[in-house]
Amino acid sequence: MRGLKTPLGAAAALSLAFLLFAVVLGPILWGDDAIKVDTMALAQGASAAHPMGTDGLGRDVLARTMVAARPSVGLALLATLITVAGGLLLGGLPAVLGRRAGRLLNGFIGLVVAFPGLLIALVLAVVLGSGGRPAAFAIGLAGVPAFARLTQTLAASVAGRDFVAAARVLGVGRTRMLVRHILPNIGEPLIVQATLGAGGALLAFAALSFLGLGVQAPDYDWGLLLNEGLNRVYVNPAAALAPGIAVVLAGLAFNVLGEYAAQVFGGRSPAARGAGGSARPVPGDALTVKDLRVSYGPAVPVKGVSFTVGAGERVGLVGESGSGKSLTALAASGLVEPPGVVAGSIEAGETAMVFQDPMTSLNPALRVGTQLAEVATAHERLARRAAGRRAVARLTDVHIAAAAKVARQYPHELSGGMRQRAMIAMGLMGTPRLIIADEPTTALDVTVQKQILDLLREVSDSTGAAILLISHDLAVVAQLCSRVLVMYAGVIVEDLTVERLVAGPAHPYTRALLASVPDMSADRSQPLATIPGRMPSPADPVAGCPFAPRCPRAGDRCLTAMPPFEDGVACWHPIKEVS
Amino acid sequence: MTALEFQGVRVRLGRRRHAADVVKGVDLTVPAGTVVGLVGESGCGKSTLARAAVGLVPLAAGRITPGSGVQLVFQDPYSSLDPRMTVGSAVAEAVPKGAGVDRAGEVARLLDLVGLEPGHAGRLPRHLSGGQRQRVAIARALAARPRVVIADEITSALDVSVQGMVLNLVRELQRELGLTMLFISHNLAVVRYVSDRVAVMNRGRIVESGPVDDVLSAPRDPYTRTLLESVPRLR
Amino acid sequence: MAVPTPHHPAPPGDPVEEQAPPEERSSRPARPGAYLARRFLRFLLSLLLLVTATFGMVHVVPGDPVRAALGITASPELVAARTHELGLDLPVWEQYARYAAGLFSGDLGTSMISGLPVSQTIADRLPYTVMLALVAFAVVMVTAIPAGMAAAAWTRGGRGRAAELLFTGASGLLAVVPEFLLAVAMIVLFAVTWELLPVANVSGSLTPSYYVLPTLALAVGPAAALARIVRVEALSVLSSDFMRTARAKRLPARLIYLRHALPNLLTGALTIGGLLISGLVAGSVLVENVFVWPGLGSALVEAIKAKDYPVVQGVVLVYGGAVLLVNLAVDVALGRLDPRSTIKED
Repeated sequence: MRGLKTPLGAAAALSLAFLLFAVVLGPILWGDDAIKVDTMALAQGASAAHPMGTDGLGRDVLARTMVAARPSVGLALLATLITVAGGLLLGGLPAVLGRRAGRLLNGFIGLVVAFPGLLIALVLAVVLGSGGRPAAFAIGLAGVPAFARLTQTLAASVAGRDFVAAARVLGVGRTRMLVRHILPNIGEPLIVQATLGAGGALLAFAALSFLGLGVQAPDYDWGLLLNEGLNRVYVNPAAALAPGIAVVLAGLAFNVLGEYAAQVFGGRSPAARGAGGSARPVPGDALTVKDLRVSYGPAVPVKGVSFTVGAGERVGLVGESGSGKSLTALAASGLVEPPGVVAGSIEAGETAMVFQDPMTSLNPALRVGTQLAEVATAHERLARRAAGRRAVARLTDVHIAAAAKVARQYPHELSGGMRQRAMIAMGLMGTPRLIIADEPTTALDVTVQKQILDLLREVSDSTGAAILLISHDLAVVAQLCSRVLVMYAGVIVEDLTVERLVAGPAHPYTRALLASVPDMSADRSQPLATIPGRMPSPADPVAGCPFAPRCPRAGDRCLTAMPPFEDGVACWHPIKEVS
Repeated sequence: MTALEFQGVRVRLGRRRHAADVVKGVDLTVPAGTVVGLVGESGCGKSTLARAAVGLVPLAAGRITPGSGVQLVFQDPYSSLDPRMTVGSAVAEAVPKGAGVDRAGEVARLLDLVGLEPGHAGRLPRHLSGGQRQRVAIARALAARPRVVIADEITSALDVSVQGMVLNLVRELQRELGLTMLFISHNLAVVRYVSDRVAVMNRGRIVESGPVDDVLSAPRDPYTRTLLESVPRLR
Repeated sequence: MAVPTPHHPAPPGDPVEEQAPPEERSSRPARPGAYLARRFLRFLLSLLLLVTATFGMVHVVPGDPVRAALGITASPELVAARTHELGLDLPVWEQYARYAAGLFSGDLGTSMISGLPVSQTIADRLPYTVMLALVAFAVVMVTAIPAGMAAAAWTRGGRGRAAELLFTGASGLLAVVPEFLLAVAMIVLFAVTWELLPVANVSGSLTPSYYVLPTLALAVGPAAALARIVRVEALSVLSSDFMRTARAKRLPARLIYLRHALPNLLTGALTIGGLLISGLVAGSVLVENVFVWPGLGSALVEAIKAKDYPVVQGVVLVYGGAVLLVNLAVDVALGRLDPRSTIKED
C-alpha cells in the first residue's frame, strides 16, 4: 500500500477509520448514555459530565451524536446503492437498446437531469412520505438521473473508440459489449462518482431530516439532532455544533475517499508548462545552440545538442518520436516550461513559431485578425487600425484570398491549411530572422502540405528569414531544406547536406531510416529494411553510442564510449562509401 | 478467399440538415487474392467506405459483397485495442465459436504468425509498443477467418522505422495466406509498395483505378496527377 | 473535428470526420436560429415534464390527500365537499386539463389549509427568495473567478506548492460543507457568541444586515466550488497550444491572461455558473429554514409537513421553472460567447 504514504492516502485511511469506528462501535460504546434520561440535567450547556451538553430530556448530546452515526451513514449508503443501481440501469440501457429507444431514453434523462437533486428529493419525499427508508429512497432516486447521465456519457465516449468498433466488426453482441468492453473501461470514474455521491447522499439526508422530512422521532440521525440543537442554539450552541461537525467529517471522509480513488485510478499527472529562458537578437547567425540539455527530473530527452542555423539558411531537424527534436525546437524559442529544465546556451534572432496542429494552435475565442494584429500592437505600439491593416496585408502575403474577410473570422471557420497559413502570417507580423516550424504539415493533406512547404520557401526567400523545420519525414525536409540534422535519443548523430542525404549518409542510423521508408521508387520485390530493437527511453542511462544496440556495425567501443561529433557525424564506424 | 465488390455504393452521414453524401456512388472490385490500394486525402470518403464494408455505417444505396466475413484493421493501435483486455483474450474473442476449437492453440498460432511471442498473450496493450499493438490488431482480424481484410491507414500512427516492419508483415501474410485485401492509405508510396492495383478516391468518388504501375506512371485523371506531384520525394 | 492525420489521429469512430473535403468544410454555418429553436423546444419539453410531474405527484400519494390534509377528525361531509371543490372526484385526464388550463391563467389552486390562492402565497414570498439568490449569485461570481484564475497563475507547473495545498484544501473543505451547516455555524459564531449580526426577523422589514448571514451561507460553498473549477479550467487553458502560440508571440502577461485565457475560461465558468444557480435555488430552501426567512423555501417545507399539496405543487413549479429558465439563459449566452458550442448536438 504505497498509496498510504501520500498525504491524500493517509487522510483517506484516517477518515475511513473514523467512519468505521463510529458506525461499528458507536451504538455499543454510547448506546446506554444516549437513552439515559437525566432529569437533573435538562437542556444543559457543555460540562465535564456532558462535553456537548444535554438535550431537552437530559440525554447526552455527544453520545447521541456518536450513536446516530450508524443510521446516518447506513441510510446514506442505502440511498447511494439505489442511485448506483438505478443509474447503471438507466444509463447502460441506451447502449443495449436500439438506436431509437436509446436516444429517447437519453433525451428523457437529459430533461430530468436539469432539475436540482434536492428539489427532486423533496417532491419524492412528499410522495413517499416521511421516515428513514422513504427518505433514503427519495434521495437515492433523486440521484439516479445524474448518475445515469454520467454512465451514459462515459459509455458513449468509450463506444466511440475503435476497439468497440473492432468488437462490433467481430460480431460481439450488445450485452457482451456492455459488460465486457464498456463497463470495465468506465468502472473507475463510476466508482469515484459513487463514493463522492455517498458523501452527497449523507449531506442530503441530513438536510432532509433537518427539515423534518427524513428520520422521525423517536428515531434520530444527525440531521434531526441538528434540528433539535438549532431550536436551542441560544441555550446550548454545542448541541447544534456536535451533529454538524459529525456530518461534515463524514462528508469529508467520503470526499477524501473519492479523491483518493480518483488519484489511484487516474494516475493524474498534470502536464505542466511554464515560461522558459528568453531569446535575444544577435547579429550573424539566426540561431546558435550550444550544449543544450532539457531534463524532466531523471529523464533527459535532450542530451547536449549543439548546432547553428545561418542567416537565411533552411535547416531540417529530423528524428522519430522520442528523439527530442520537438523539445529542442521549443527550447530554442524559450518555450519549455516547468518542470522541464533547460541548460546550455541559446542565441536566437527574432523568432516566429509554426506548430504542428493548426486546429489547436490558434485561440478559438478570438478573431484571426485580432490574433495577428496584437503582435504589432504589443511589440511596436502600432495603432489598432494600422495593425489591422498589416494583418490583412500579411494574410494576403500568404495567399489567403479575401484576407479582409478571413481576418474577421474565427479559427473554427477556417480549414486546416488556411489556419496554418494564418499561423505563418502571424509569424510575419514582425520581422523574424528565424521561423521554427514544428511538424507544420503533419496534420495536413499531401496536396496542402506541398502548398505550405512552397509558402515557407517563398517567405524565406522574400524576407531572408532562416527556417528550422522539425519533421519525422526525410522527404518533407528534403523538399524545403538544404541541410539536415538527424536526431536520435536526444543527440544529433549527423549533420549533412540534402545532397549527401540522397547520395548516402555516413551514420548507420540515417541510412537505416532512409532504407525503411518506402518511396515512389522503392523496389517492390524486396522487403523493406527494418531497424530491430527500440530507441532507449530518455530515462535510460546510455554509456556509449545510443544507437549501438540496434546497429549492425557496432563494435565493443560503441557500447562503452559516446563517439565525438566529427565531420558532421557522431559515429565510431561511419559509412564512407556513397551509394 | 473471395473477391470484395462495391456496386453503386452511396453512404450518407449526419442527421437531417447536416446530412451529406460522403460516398457518392462507388464501384470497385478487389479480385480474390489480390491487394487493391485505395488512396485519397482526408475527407474523401475512403474510411467511410471501409466502415460501410464491415457494417459500421449503413448504406444509402448500392451493394457490398460479401456481406459478412470482412475484417477491418484500424488506424490507431492505441485506441483499437480494449485497454482492459489481454492480448490473448482479445484475439480469442475473435476466434469463431464452435465445437472442437482449440482456442489457446489458435491464439498461439496467430501470435506466431504475426511475429509475436506466446508470452505476449498474457500482456495488456499498454505494455506493448505501437508496432506490436498493430500486430495484435492484425492477428485479431485474422482470427475471425475473414474472407476479406480491410486495412485502414494501419501504418499512419506509427513511426517510420516501425512502419516498415508492419508493411513487410502485411505483404508476407498476404502472400502466404492469399488474402483479399483493400489497403487504404493517404500515402502513395506506401500504397504503391503493398498493392497490386490502385484506386484513387476524391470527394466520394473513385476517379481512377488500374494496375499500380500504370496509374502511377501514366495518370489519366487530373486529381491523380496533382496528388502525384504533391508527394515529397528524396530523389 | 480534426483532419485525420498520421500523428494526430482524429477522434476515432466519428463518422462525421469525412463529411466534406477540408477546404470546403471550412466555414460551417453556425445557424444561430436553428440552435435557438432547438434549445427552446427542449425548454418546452422540460416544462411539460415539470407540469406533469407536479400534477402526478398528488395522484400517486398513498391514501386520500384531502383526508391527510384535513386530519382524521374532519367529518366525511367536509372531506367530500373539499374533494369536490378541488375537482379531485373528476376523471384524471379532466383534472390534468383543468390543472394545465389553470396554469395558463395564473391559477395555481387554493391552499387546503388556509384557503388562500396559492398564487397569492407565491407572490408574497417569491421576492424574498429571488433577492437572496441574486445577491448570493453575485457574490459567487465576483469572488470565485478572480480567485480561481489567480490560483492557477500562481500554482502552474508545480510552482507554489504551499499555495496550491492551501487553496485546494480550503476550497475543498468549503465546497463540501453544506449551506445549512454553514448557516448553523455562522449563527453560533456571529449571532450567538459574538452577537454581531441579526439572524431571524419575524416581524417583516428586512434591513441589509439581515442579508449578510443568509447570503454568505448560501454563497460560500458554490464560490469555493466554482473557484476550484475555474483554476482547473485555467490550468488546462494555460497549457493549451494556442497559449503556447501567444507566448511564442512574446505578448505581455496582461494580454496573455486577459485576452487569450479569459474568454476561453468564461464558457466553462458560465456553464458551471448555471449549474450553481440551480444549486442555489435548492440550497435556499434550507438556508431559508435555518434563518426563518420569509421566502418560498420556508413555505415549501411548511406545506410539505402540513400535506398542503396545492401549495407544494405551486412552489415546486416556480422552483423548477426558474431552474429551467436559468439553464436556457446560460445556453443562449454560451451560444453567443462561444460560436462552437452551437454546433454540438445535444
